[in-house]
Amino acid sequence: MSAIFPKWTNKLPLMVAIGGLLTAGAVTAGVWYYFTPKYFRVGYQPIQPVAFSHATHAGQLGVDCRYCHSMVEKSWFSNIPSSSTCMNCHNQVLKDDPRLALVRESAASGKPIPWVQIHRVPDFVYFNHSVHVNRGISCVECHGRIDQMEEVYHAKPLSMSFCLDCHNNPAAKVRPADKITDLGWTPSEDPNVAAQKQATFGKKFVHDFRVESLNNCSACHR
Amino acid sequence: MKTIPPTDTTPVTGRHYWRGLDQLADTPEFKTFLEREFPANASELTDPVSRRHFVKIMSASFALAGIGLGATGCRRPEDKLLPFGKAAEGFIHGTSQFFATAMPTRGGAIPLVAKSYEGRPIKVEGNSLFPGGNGGTDRFAQASILNLYDPDRATRFAKGAGKDRASITSGEALEALAGIANKFAGNQGAGLALLGERTNSPSRRRLHQEIAKKLPQAKWYLYDAIDSEIHQRVATKAFGKSVKPLFRYDVADTILALDCDFIGGEEDAHNSIRQFTGKRKIEKPEDGLNRLYAVESLFTLTGVNADHRLRVAASAVVQVAAAIAAELGVNVGTLVSSSKVELDKKWIAECAKDLKATGGKSLVVAGVRQPMAVHLIVAAINEKLGNIGKTVELVEAPAAISAGISELAESLNKGEVDTLVITGANPVYNAPADLNWTATQRKAKTVVRLGYYEDETGAASDWHIPLAHYLESWNDGRTSDGTLVPVQPLIAPLFGGLSDLEFMARLAGLTETNPNKIVRATFAAMTGDSSEAAWNKFLHDGFAAGTAMKKTSASWSSSSLNEALAAPTVTATSKDNLEVVLYRDMKLDDGRYANNGWLQELPDPITKIVWDNAVLVSRKTAKALGVENGDVVELSVGGKTIKGAIWTQPGMADFSLGIALGYGREQVGRVGVGTGFSAYPLYSTKTGYIVSGVSLKKVGGEKYPISCTQTHWSMEGRAIVREANLQQFKDHPDFADKMNAAVPPRPEGTTGEWPKPIYPNPLDEAKKKAHHQWGMAIDLNGCVGCGTCVVACQSENNIPIVGKDLVARGREMHWLRIDRYYSADPKKRAWNSTFKKEEDQQFDEWIDDVQAVNQPMLCQHCEAAPCESVCPVNATVHDQEGLNVMAYNRCVGTRYCSNNCPYKVRRFNYLDFNKRSLKELKGPFYPTTLLHSTEGEWDLSRWWKDQNAGMRQDDEWDLIRMLKNPDVTVRMRGVMEKCTFCIQRIEGAKIAQKVKAGESGDVVVPDGTIKTACEQACPAGAIVFGNIADENSRVAKLKERQRNYSVLDFLETKPRTTYLAKVRNPNPAMPDYADPFTFEEFEKQNGNPFGGHGHGESAPAHAEPAHAGEKGAH
Repeated sequence: MSAIFPKWTNKLPLMVAIGGLLTAGAVTAGVWYYFTPKYFRVGYQPIQPVAFSHATHAGQLGVDCRYCHSMVEKSWFSNIPSSSTCMNCHNQVLKDDPRLALVRESAASGKPIPWVQIHRVPDFVYFNHSVHVNRGISCVECHGRIDQMEEVYHAKPLSMSFCLDCHNNPAAKVRPADKITDLGWTPSEDPNVAAQKQATFGKKFVHDFRVESLNNCSACHR
Repeated sequence: MKTIPPTDTTPVTGRHYWRGLDQLADTPEFKTFLEREFPANASELTDPVSRRHFVKIMSASFALAGIGLGATGCRRPEDKLLPFGKAAEGFIHGTSQFFATAMPTRGGAIPLVAKSYEGRPIKVEGNSLFPGGNGGTDRFAQASILNLYDPDRATRFAKGAGKDRASITSGEALEALAGIANKFAGNQGAGLALLGERTNSPSRRRLHQEIAKKLPQAKWYLYDAIDSEIHQRVATKAFGKSVKPLFRYDVADTILALDCDFIGGEEDAHNSIRQFTGKRKIEKPEDGLNRLYAVESLFTLTGVNADHRLRVAASAVVQVAAAIAAELGVNVGTLVSSSKVELDKKWIAECAKDLKATGGKSLVVAGVRQPMAVHLIVAAINEKLGNIGKTVELVEAPAAISAGISELAESLNKGEVDTLVITGANPVYNAPADLNWTATQRKAKTVVRLGYYEDETGAASDWHIPLAHYLESWNDGRTSDGTLVPVQPLIAPLFGGLSDLEFMARLAGLTETNPNKIVRATFAAMTGDSSEAAWNKFLHDGFAAGTAMKKTSASWSSSSLNEALAAPTVTATSKDNLEVVLYRDMKLDDGRYANNGWLQELPDPITKIVWDNAVLVSRKTAKALGVENGDVVELSVGGKTIKGAIWTQPGMADFSLGIALGYGREQVGRVGVGTGFSAYPLYSTKTGYIVSGVSLKKVGGEKYPISCTQTHWSMEGRAIVREANLQQFKDHPDFADKMNAAVPPRPEGTTGEWPKPIYPNPLDEAKKKAHHQWGMAIDLNGCVGCGTCVVACQSENNIPIVGKDLVARGREMHWLRIDRYYSADPKKRAWNSTFKKEEDQQFDEWIDDVQAVNQPMLCQHCEAAPCESVCPVNATVHDQEGLNVMAYNRCVGTRYCSNNCPYKVRRFNYLDFNKRSLKELKGPFYPTTLLHSTEGEWDLSRWWKDQNAGMRQDDEWDLIRMLKNPDVTVRMRGVMEKCTFCIQRIEGAKIAQKVKAGESGDVVVPDGTIKTACEQACPAGAIVFGNIADENSRVAKLKERQRNYSVLDFLETKPRTTYLAKVRNPNPAMPDYADPFTFEEFEKQNGNPFGGHGHGESAPAHAEPAHAGEKGAH
């Protein structure tokens, strides 16, 4: 009999079991790690109906975010500007450019431009823009360097753990109120000095302005 | 969902299904694979190469499909963001706007502030700017918003009665109105009759006058099934000029309510509640309370809140009034001496003495269902007591239209009416039975109806025009004191309905038909200011200051009493002479709210019955008649018969039956049809609301299921609601604490907190850092149990209704309920002798004379919360501000938390209630879906064929979801939920404060900024919410009061919601003076909380005949 089943086969069930466990573990770990917004959401870059370049407007021309997203300091929602906002400038600048045909048409007719939504938190998350931008959190923390994007893409994962990273330690991210929309701002050019300055500033900000580490369910879920 | 592949040969336009990516790509490999699989080439199966090839291709395609799924299928669907083309001025996307408006009622209007989210009104609140108001509202105002989005409301213009009915366009309908206008322009309106409901709208009054000028021959009639105008008619008669009495419950120290449910069923109850409770929410014993005597047959909220209650048949109330009057020295002729009704003379004498002692600060009121005679005697009593001008203010009021439905019926019968126009009223359903209205109405050649529903009257009319909701139309009104308030629209009519002003203006062919302009002209005329600024201020504030009706004085005419003295002699009620009291329902009013699911599912404040009315009887009556709960009976009088189901109600007068009006609708909508039984056939012009000589017959063996939310009646002596008399409160200001359970002795050798909570208190550390600590205090002396908070909570928090069947299974979803407990004199109650099942309570003798208490019960937000320890998935946890929060997404529905909650305030979504079809709401009652069949088919097989059969249609859902509060998650099946202390309001206020703070540390929300929905709606101001960490906050101060206590204190759950114990103020001289029955029951169970020997230390000894007075007259 021993010719048919060599001795090592005695360990076969154990090996199968261990192999199975390892595989299952690897699959679980893989799903756990990779099936997250960090991998599935980051990089999402739909083509918008109008080839609006944030890099040109916010970066090159230095238009403040709040010129167009004017309600961001007042509402939970940062509004997409109406077409008439675009026309404030574009009835002078590039007024016959074919790329702006849809905008002109929309501003004239009142029919909205169907922008494709990129950033979105689930319906059970009650994220409020106004409280973040008024209390030292810059646009860049969640949206990335919009001022360098030709076509906007999803830069940060916006997952729950992403939110909690900051909520657990707001001192690391807060900045002065006048630098909120200055997306490229750092406390210093030198990374080491910057980190030190941020630590001092953040600590003072959090203490003086009574910033809480809101990591309870009720902060976002109602 | 299962999809059957298309069998037809037309090109596929929907989804494509392919076996692998290669098929889609139409690759040569796939073709080969197909060929090789073909049975004709079966020999190839022996070829090992091709078999291997097959496996290779299949695995490759599966792998590709997997990646494809990951790459495309798992992507969330693309959503579009649609900003305005042209920016709307002043509109901030995502924030709510608030507009002042008002809800018209019969005799007034309730000033409101309506919340509008992106153009949709989603919630109404009382206008707290309104002078004298506290921002409280009533049940109807809170629920009225649901009517706006009612899928069953009238959505079309229609022509033709019965089978000939057909939809028409609004243009055709307006043309028809213009046609009527033209027709009657020639003959000054002869043959035109208009029937409306009572409102207090000056614009309508003005239009009416204008139309009267243009069409002097047209006739006007007003009809309301609940005649709330009797007070004005009486005052006009008694004081010889057109005046309206305003009852000042805030001034009165002693109030006698003669069958007058001013806290519940009377008009303008929310104002009365505010005024009445203002004198009861005392801080110290020295503040003193007002005292309320109630004489009534039904057990009403007024009776519940009374310090002394005398139960007598409704027909005998006139005798009580006469006896009181006689005691006070009013000449009542032979009314008292000829009385055949036995009354408790001592009760009446002492009550009269008390009224006299507080003369000028006493108040006697009679209810709308009582006949004129009682009201006239009451006017005489108030005059005698010197109350006129003090607690009974007389204000100048324009004379009302006196012609009612009887006069209209007469005119119709004479054939004088060519065109009958009905605005709003629903006489086919609720006209007095003796008018035989359905036939009478048809005597008019044309009947035009403006109605909110295509209801009974709508169906019997030739033209039907949809009425706009008050939130869709311009109108105005005067509150009960006469202040002018605007009714401004928040949304364009959803289904193109007309407001009654526009309708009338068009009907009469007036030049101005724009209701906005009509209202504005009235405003200018009333205030003498036609400027834009004044108008804008009027709309902004929601009222025009200084427009209240003028106070006036008038002298009482003694001759007015003669009519009362001629009142027919009352015979005592008995088994063979039953009386039926028809009363305005606490939820459906006269039936107008029958299709409102929130109100249908609001438990009746007294009976706690939902979705039905019942024939309310006393225990003794039930025994004498041989009936018990649920028995279907027939009541007949004068050839009219109605059916109804018996419900034994504690505290009812014997042989006096109560039936709520407003049920048994035949045509109104899917919610309202088939609930309860209509009592209108018993209502006639001759008998009014109190019908004597009724006979009752049991319908053989038939039982009717009744759903009730509180099946157990007694607290069984436990200190859940704590009560004391004013005297006890004086002697023991800390009585509420004394009723705490005894603290067990500390075990030897232990240190630290004692008594130690059973459950961990995660808050001890967290709360040191947080800016706020939320808490609530509910003053049981303020709470009258009206139920407004329950509806307000439902509206604010997107709480679904579940229907009659599921309420019977205990699955109602209200986050806030009002517990109502009965208590009786322990001398009459055999304690602990035998355990009584809940259905046997109706036979207990102790329920004859009861006191009742109310207690709003909601999540107590325990610091050491029992629910949290048992949740296996951490779905319910504490936040740092002391809130017990629910993370719906984590909840897996084990319901452990609900089982471990000692207060039973958690609610579970057994079904997808929000999406459930309206058809499913009322039953049928069946034990399991496995065995039940509907329309001849098994429910299971119906489900198999169409899983969405029980769900709302999409268009219906689109309408109803416009109502949802966007700040609150709409919960789905399988999720636990409960009161959140309105966390959306808390977070909203905190965020607003932080935005305001910006770069500063001013992040603490000022006291009073956050009001929970229940607090805001409460007309009594009994609920106070706030930051208990701030010792100057209102709630912290309330919690400092000595009456403050926690429910189930011995569990050491440390609730954040505490209650202020109730204090009653009975008169020591009265024969039924006693400690509150709940206190006596407590004492019997637990011993005297004050130590000493028995009770009576503070209270005078009980005379043996105590309570004899409550035996009533029979």
